[in-house]
Amino acid sequence: MTAERVAGAALGVVFGFVLCWSAMVDPDVIRGALLLEQSYLFLFFGSAVAVAAVGVELLRRLRARALLTGAPVGWLRERPQRRHVVGSVLFGVGWGVANACPGPVAAQVGQGMSWSLPIIAGIVIGVRLFQRGGARETEPAADRSTPSGARLADAIAEL
Amino acid sequence: MLDQQLAWYVAGPLLGLCVVACRWLFNGRLGVTGGYSEIVGRLGRGCARFDWRGWLLIGVALGGTLFALLAGERSFEGYGWLTATFHGSERIVIPFVLLGAGILIGYGAKTAGGCTSGNGLTGTSLLSPASLTSTATFFATAIVVAHVIEAVT
Repeated sequence: MTAERVAGAALGVVFGFVLCWSAMVDPDVIRGALLLEQSYLFLFFGSAVAVAAVGVELLRRLRARALLTGAPVGWLRERPQRRHVVGSVLFGVGWGVANACPGPVAAQVGQGMSWSLPIIAGIVIGVRLFQRGGARETEPAADRSTPSGARLADAIAEL
Repeated sequence: MLDQQLAWYVAGPLLGLCVVACRWLFNGRLGVTGGYSEIVGRLGRGCARFDWRGWLLIGVALGGTLFALLAGERSFEGYGWLTATFHGSERIVIPFVLLGAGILIGYGAKTAGGCTSGNGLTGTSLLSPASLTSTATFFATAIVVAHVIEAVT
């Protein structure tokens, strides 16, 4: 578990650093993109998705196993449900107003931006409200890959 | 070097590689909201031991700190359209607007099972129909909201 925590933190540091360097922590950059005045965000996002798609598909085809958990690499593709649309509309309104999403908000706070403190407080309240509603976890620690992998993934999620 | 926005064709692939690393390490989704969920949920149960998702979020904040230390002198005087629109004593409304936006972001992302990273980056790269729907929805909504704000301010 310690190796997992260290790896998670290290991955987060790289992720947060790139979000800062790409100026995703600057609300004016996000706003410029959402007003369709700047193309950076879309090129950045599109190239990230393209690289990620090729990389994860390669891992799956090579029948890789997760380095830290041993689970076979794989995932189930979820069908869209009402909650995906409703939740994303709420999220989109918040993003359009604050011009920062959960990753950049954390990086902003890490950078010492005091304006982002009310946003992060809001995210915590929003997540808590969702959890108090008794809903199941929508983002598990590991994806169910195959039937046997699913049991292992469940066991890991329980830890 | 750090004071210039990193070229998209470097920054994008780097972020994509983070998604691949997360898959290879944990067979997991790189979703920052999952980190908030883990930390808020555990603390709510009086426990401060977080799994990798909680540590990912802590790492993202530390990544911001590291960048600030290396990039040096930076000013965070204003905050986007809000400080450009509200001046003087009117600025008291800004924290409340941002708090409300944060609540929508947190509640909405959990309902949809991911934010810009979990659904937007990771889910779309897995070609998950649910994530593609979520991503199209939040981009479209945010674009409309930004234009409405632009029209009224």
